[in-house]
Amino acid sequence: MFVGESLERVDALEKVIGKGIFAGDLRMEGMAFGVIVRAERFHARIASIDASEAIATEGVVRVLTHKDIPGANGYGVLKKDQPYLAAGYIRFFGEPVAMVIAQNERIAREAALRMRVDYEDMEPLNDPFLAAASTVNIHKGGNLLCRKTVIKGDTKRAEGQSHVVIERTYSTRRVDHVFLECEAGLAFPDQSGRITVISSTQNIHYKQKEVSRLLSLPEERIRIIQAPTGGGFGGKLDVTVEGYAALAAYLTGRPVMVRYTREESMLSNTKRHPLYMNYRTGAAKDGRLTFLEAKITGDTGAYASYGEVVALRAAVHATGPYQVPNVHVESSMYFTNNPVCGAMRGFGIPQTAFAHESQMDLLAEALCIDPLEIRKINALRKGSETATGQVLNHSVGFYDALKCIEPAWKERKKTGNSGFGLGCMFYGIGNTGVPNPSACHLTLMPEGKIGFHLGACDIGQGSDTVLTQILLETLGLEKNCVLLVKGDSDTTRDAGSSSASRQTYITGKAVFEAGRKLRSYLEEKGIDKGRSLKDICSEASGEGGPIFDGFFDPPTTSLDPVTGQGIPYATYAFAAHMTEVEVDPATCVCRVKKVHAAHDVGRAINPDAVRGQIFGGVAMGIGFALMEEFIPSRSKSLYSYYIPTSMDMPAVETYLVEDQEPTGPYGAKGVGEPALIPQGASIMNAIRDATGIRGFELPCNFERLCLLAEKV
Amino acid sequence: MQKICFQLNGEKAEAEIEDYLTLLEVLRDRFSILSVKEGCGIGECGACTVLLNERPVYACLTLAVKADGCDVKTTEYLSKDGTLHPLQEAFVKSGAVQCGYCTPGMLMSAYALLQEEKTPTEEMIREGISGNLCRCTGYIQIMEAVKDASQI
Repeated sequence: MFVGESLERVDALEKVIGKGIFAGDLRMEGMAFGVIVRAERFHARIASIDASEAIATEGVVRVLTHKDIPGANGYGVLKKDQPYLAAGYIRFFGEPVAMVIAQNERIAREAALRMRVDYEDMEPLNDPFLAAASTVNIHKGGNLLCRKTVIKGDTKRAEGQSHVVIERTYSTRRVDHVFLECEAGLAFPDQSGRITVISSTQNIHYKQKEVSRLLSLPEERIRIIQAPTGGGFGGKLDVTVEGYAALAAYLTGRPVMVRYTREESMLSNTKRHPLYMNYRTGAAKDGRLTFLEAKITGDTGAYASYGEVVALRAAVHATGPYQVPNVHVESSMYFTNNPVCGAMRGFGIPQTAFAHESQMDLLAEALCIDPLEIRKINALRKGSETATGQVLNHSVGFYDALKCIEPAWKERKKTGNSGFGLGCMFYGIGNTGVPNPSACHLTLMPEGKIGFHLGACDIGQGSDTVLTQILLETLGLEKNCVLLVKGDSDTTRDAGSSSASRQTYITGKAVFEAGRKLRSYLEEKGIDKGRSLKDICSEASGEGGPIFDGFFDPPTTSLDPVTGQGIPYATYAFAAHMTEVEVDPATCVCRVKKVHAAHDVGRAINPDAVRGQIFGGVAMGIGFALMEEFIPSRSKSLYSYYIPTSMDMPAVETYLVEDQEPTGPYGAKGVGEPALIPQGASIMNAIRDATGIRGFELPCNFERLCLLAEKV
Repeated sequence: MQKICFQLNGEKAEAEIEDYLTLLEVLRDRFSILSVKEGCGIGECGACTVLLNERPVYACLTLAVKADGCDVKTTEYLSKDGTLHPLQEAFVKSGAVQCGYCTPGMLMSAYALLQEEKTPTEEMIREGISGNLCRCTGYIQIMEAVKDASQI
């Protein structure tokens, strides 16, 4: 009735009539504006900060430095190593040094320019290999953030038994999220001194904890509300403006808005990790993979953020969606004086997909096997074992996804300068080998509606709509019976972050559980025997209001610290993309003409929303492969950092495979990141088909492609 | 300071403004037209697109004094009479909205296109919205929505 239907988004109407009020649109009586003063140094000591001129500016309320922070001056999802305001030491270009609070934005920005900061420059380490070899430590513990390994079988022995071994090194560059809405948030104290922050975010409960540490206030004294959020893609998982707005509101006792310009967003926001990936892959004569060795070196920038997660995910997914009996992966992350790299759609897997998919094509070429065929031969299927030793017993629709694109692959016709390429992926849904729960609850409201208390953040991907569909299906009630109470740490439970493609699967299952409890309550109360919901609700609110909880934590195990063996995810999404490109031989400009995208999503709760994710993923994959490269101190705004426009978009044919996941709500898994992951890889294989040139470095923009063409 | 008079979504509007203010700032701060979004402030993203005498302009690059004597339309205009414009309806139906931040600017570019050409080709639609960035949708469902609206 609701699941499998392309229902309209619950928030589409307000957004098309111009009533989508985002955090930066909020206004409050007496609202001040905060601007962050940032270091324009890669690596330095702060010699002195002179705020006198800024403070003397008319309209300036206060200037803050790290000394004004009442609690802990450090945040981060795993390691609390990133200062809100630098305490004497600068580790990246753009690091916050001070904050100027003024009556309005114009004054705050002008006064921020009058801040005088003197530095003693130090030699910057702008490369992970330099950082690995250097005796200069960016952090006290050294420059190695982490090393993750996945070891299975005996790769050395398998190498001896291989018919062909391909070794290549691949690299990718930093990518910015470029969510259209820059970071913004408004914080204010209420009469009791409680601090509320309304911001553009992907996770309210995590930010509540961070702000509580920052202000040294108990968590219940902090309230975080998610404003409609103009895209996230991982970039609004870390604390962005919330800490600054909360600090300023706490110290000044008035509402304070912090809203970044695009330039500030690009300076401060985390980036996609550049990875350097050395791959050695062996195969037998019949095309079966025999072993894979990968050495992955990543640049996490100045602070840890999600670096450890990316290193681990890259290691666990290094084989791609294939059966490889012998695996040895070592994945290391180093600190450098580059921008902080964090979570970005795919957590390292778009990078590794570029490597393993190029390797698959190189093996196919060496063995004279069709590229689709070699993927079919090695495809993970029911009963297969992954590199971490996990046996996949259900919902493994990869082979079916390959079959979906097979007709198009077989009918492809190269003309002129066109070429065709394949890209495949698998992606573990949710966090890696750690508990990853979601909770939600339902209440009965006196006016006769069901209160749907949802802490999951809809950042544009459509979780509010999809989760509402799951609830309605479970309840068997009409659409208008449910009132969404969402995105507020006061009224909702922790549903985890909107990341790792996890909300439909994990929170969706929690919603399903809560819905089932409520359904049986309603049945007990006679909903099927003609009793109205309104009647049941008004009786229930008299009883003190029952609450119906939903909770789900996917069954996983922790990974062995040495071998990486274990069950990191309860379920995986699978995808295969086929891309047609055309490369102009004179200019080396590559145009993506057509994409066939097949995705095993378990169950498409809302097929149009799934397609929307795939289209958006294809666009981001085109940017990743062909144009996007964030260069510290040079990529300043959208005039020096390009993302795809409508002119860059190909026609996209989607194929939805629904190999249902038994632990998921109505069989659903996730699609947010999978949509992007295989796209870049398939473009690179298509460029090779079109030109005979294989690129090993992303983005493969026309400058790089021209250089490669000259060498041929 | 300068006084400007203009038509804002079909109604007379007046303001005393500093001559360095952009149309984006004046629409948002003086007239509370919050559908006009800032995405970059330098005329690259199109989130602030409004119509100035029926032609799409980036409000962040347009000085507000330029609007004096002109007709200015924003997304609010499209459903002014209380019913959705076919474009808005098509955006809702086609899944053209994800995060929604680019939506108002996108609608204005599409509206300007349809004012000029009642049945645009796919290529015209593609070009018509090419000055508006969207990071969520890959533009496909937006282009479908514009096409659907053009056939009504």
